[in-house]
Amino acid sequence: MPASISRIKGEGMTRWLVTLPPALFLVVFFLIPALIMAVASFREPGEFGGLAPLSRESFGLDAYRFIGDDIIYAWILAKSFLVAALTTVICLLLAYPLALLIARSPKRQRDLFVLLVILPFASNFLIRIYAWMMILGPLNLLYSPTAVIIGMVYVHLPFMILPLYTNLEKHDPTLLEAAQDLGAGAWTRFWRVTWPLSLPGVLSGSALVFIPVLGMFAVPELLGGTGDLLIGNLIKEQFLDNRDWPLGATLSLALTAAVLGVSALTAMYSRRTLR
Amino acid sequence: MTRLLALLLLAAAMFARAEDVLYLYNWNNYISEQTAARFERWCGCTLKQDYYSDNEEMLAKLEAGAAGYDVLVPTGNAVQTLIRKDELRPIEKERLPHFSNLNPAFVGAWYDAENRYAVPYASTVTLLGYNATRLEELGLPTETWALIFEPRYLAKLKGRVTVLNSHRELIGAALRYLGFSIQDTDPGHWRQARDLILRAKPYWAAFSNSTYIKELAIGNIWVAHGYSSDMFRAREDAKAARRPFRIGFSIPKEGAVLAVDNFVIHKSSRRPDLAHRFIDFMLNGENAADVSNLIGAGNPNAAAVPYIRPEIAGERAIFPTSADMPRLEMLRDLEPHQRRLMSRLWTEIKVK
Amino acid sequence: MKRGLMLWSATLVTYAFLYVPLAVVVLFSFNDSELNASWVGFTTRWYAKLLGDETMLQAAANSLFIALVSSLIATLLGTMAGIAMHRWRPPLLPFLVLTPVAMPEILLGVSLLLFFRQVLDLTLGLFSILLAHITFSIGFVAIIVRARLAGMDESIFEAARDLGATPWKTFVRITFPLIVPGVVAGYLMAFTLSIDDFVITFFVAGVGMSTLPLQIYSMIKVAVTPEVNAVSTLLMALTLTLIAIASRVALTTLKRGT
Repeated sequence: MPASISRIKGEGMTRWLVTLPPALFLVVFFLIPALIMAVASFREPGEFGGLAPLSRESFGLDAYRFIGDDIIYAWILAKSFLVAALTTVICLLLAYPLALLIARSPKRQRDLFVLLVILPFASNFLIRIYAWMMILGPLNLLYSPTAVIIGMVYVHLPFMILPLYTNLEKHDPTLLEAAQDLGAGAWTRFWRVTWPLSLPGVLSGSALVFIPVLGMFAVPELLGGTGDLLIGNLIKEQFLDNRDWPLGATLSLALTAAVLGVSALTAMYSRRTLR
Repeated sequence: MTRLLALLLLAAAMFARAEDVLYLYNWNNYISEQTAARFERWCGCTLKQDYYSDNEEMLAKLEAGAAGYDVLVPTGNAVQTLIRKDELRPIEKERLPHFSNLNPAFVGAWYDAENRYAVPYASTVTLLGYNATRLEELGLPTETWALIFEPRYLAKLKGRVTVLNSHRELIGAALRYLGFSIQDTDPGHWRQARDLILRAKPYWAAFSNSTYIKELAIGNIWVAHGYSSDMFRAREDAKAARRPFRIGFSIPKEGAVLAVDNFVIHKSSRRPDLAHRFIDFMLNGENAADVSNLIGAGNPNAAAVPYIRPEIAGERAIFPTSADMPRLEMLRDLEPHQRRLMSRLWTEIKVK
Repeated sequence: MKRGLMLWSATLVTYAFLYVPLAVVVLFSFNDSELNASWVGFTTRWYAKLLGDETMLQAAANSLFIALVSSLIATLLGTMAGIAMHRWRPPLLPFLVLTPVAMPEILLGVSLLLFFRQVLDLTLGLFSILLAHITFSIGFVAIIVRARLAGMDESIFEAARDLGATPWKTFVRITFPLIVPGVVAGYLMAFTLSIDDFVITFFVAGVGMSTLPLQIYSMIKVAVTPEVNAVSTLLMALTLTLIAIASRVALTTLKRGT
């Protein structure tokens, strides 16, 4: 009896010791700064940039009305979601076989393979994009939507491979053997055993690709043509071109809310299917 | 963990060492290594540079509270913004004996009529750079914005044109082509400019702020809307690589944007003494010539001209003559509601 | 066997996709042309130039230091968050973890700069960059660690507890070994995020404190010389060495520990 009580107490303590440090850190260095910007979205742009001095009149829904009354912003958001979805699907197709192969390799090779995935990303982001410009130029693909997708896939591929691999690596091979003993063919084994078990990896990988793609502006700026404006570019412009912080904050919050909405829906759906 | 902390402290100590350091927030490659080293020897101090590639980047960073820079190098309109935000420290002219080296045409500009804060350093013109050999073959004119706006010319250039990814510059060029001023804020005129741009856009390859230099120099792009210093660089690069064509650039006859970059001292400067010494050092003709020889920028310093390579000093698109001056305008900042409207037009241009 | 072949060829396609641009980067670091648009001839002069370029080397050193330290702390905090989300399902933690990933970088950068300067009155420098990098990396690590834990057999943890193991012991002996691949993957991800970050670093960097992406970004405005390719190549080589050493060290300590 006393032993189990102390164990429960220990468990309670552990819970706080594990949860509080990351939670506190994020509250201080993410939530509070983010709230400053959330408030900024209701303010007015300052005469020379930044924010107008606080007053009753300078507080309102101007920026929200501005993007709400105009279909063009919703359209850009929808287009950006499409690009992000396409990037995610291509990343998944490229990453899955690789992650599966790594997960099924002997331990020693496994680390080497993972290292090989991450190594290109230790060079510099812009340099990699410039390398793509040199490759795509002669292929007549530069400055096109295709170039934007290729760039997006390239930049985000490891964020799909790594979660997939960490998930696939823990699968119990005896399950597949059992399936084989029961006469299941390779494809059946994959679709009935491996794929369903890997769904948490697929989901987190997709989240880590889909979400950052939406905020990306450098890839469309350098590889895209004259029509490849995405929501990330629009947000960047408000801060680094147009000195309209409230509009930039509003667009960012709209994007973040849309992303969180999609994530919540996916989480709900996946919880139902995974059960 | 303690080792990590010690390492952190050590690193912090390294960066916090207090000595005679001048912090310059500058455009990249705006002062040659040799001149920077000469200044350090002359003043017995260290020159530390951080870089930005756009006035707006620098302004946004200062706006959010960044501090500690002694000298900045903003363009005219950004100088005005900084003055009106009370971010600058007045210049003490008695500490700048070389101030009189400046070309009178650049003294007392609209953004700082008495030069209380700003000392001009370099100038560029936004114009058209082109593959002269190719345009000759095609029989196209070179000194007009029509080259990037008129479908009858663009039909021969499809996919070979880039324009700046900057609403003020591009809409400004369109306004000049339509016969309006770059400062024009009439929404009707802005819409005319938008329509002109939308008509031409299908023929353009991309919006580009820097990659056009290389693309021009290797011959992928035949016409680029950009800065005179970049075009100069593209021309030199093409020459050095012995390309079978020549790069040219000229100020369109309809008029263009002139940008003048200035040294100013930030209010948060802890070493205004060093800042003044630096600015005066850079006003010396030989040192002032540096920026022109290095990147092909125009130079507001009259005493610098003898030190500038003749092919640069003699280039009319870099050193506009007094006959060109009336056609050149400097960009001025817009009011907040105008900025929002401009951004809306720009978004439409980008999306359609 | 046929399926194995398919898997291998698909894998090779992906690796090729990853390495073709990289080959371009490395190859053109030896190009004897300042313009670096097409191959002119072989030279190592860019490496020589790089070794004399103090600003660039200092920026690279800063980047490496920031990446190593920030990803270490982010991995620690992110792993804790991942475990907590899996085990106790605290209602607000997923929101705190996911939102920084979802928020556009520019907004994060501006908001952190406002917060550092106008709320904390912190002098910008190494420390502010570290804090910012930890903030945006935690979420990535937490998500990957939670994905690793998802669907894991809870009965092992219960068995350990029933056998009287303290939470700490359960963690060291059972949970941690199980999640190591996730933690390592999270660390690598945080490392690449940090070493590559331009936008947020641009805002929170203080005077005289440059990182490699800041340095390269400002250079690219003028032109990408092969020197930039050279520094990228060296950075990769250095990372490879560091990771090799780190995994060697980790392996021996793990072996000694058990």
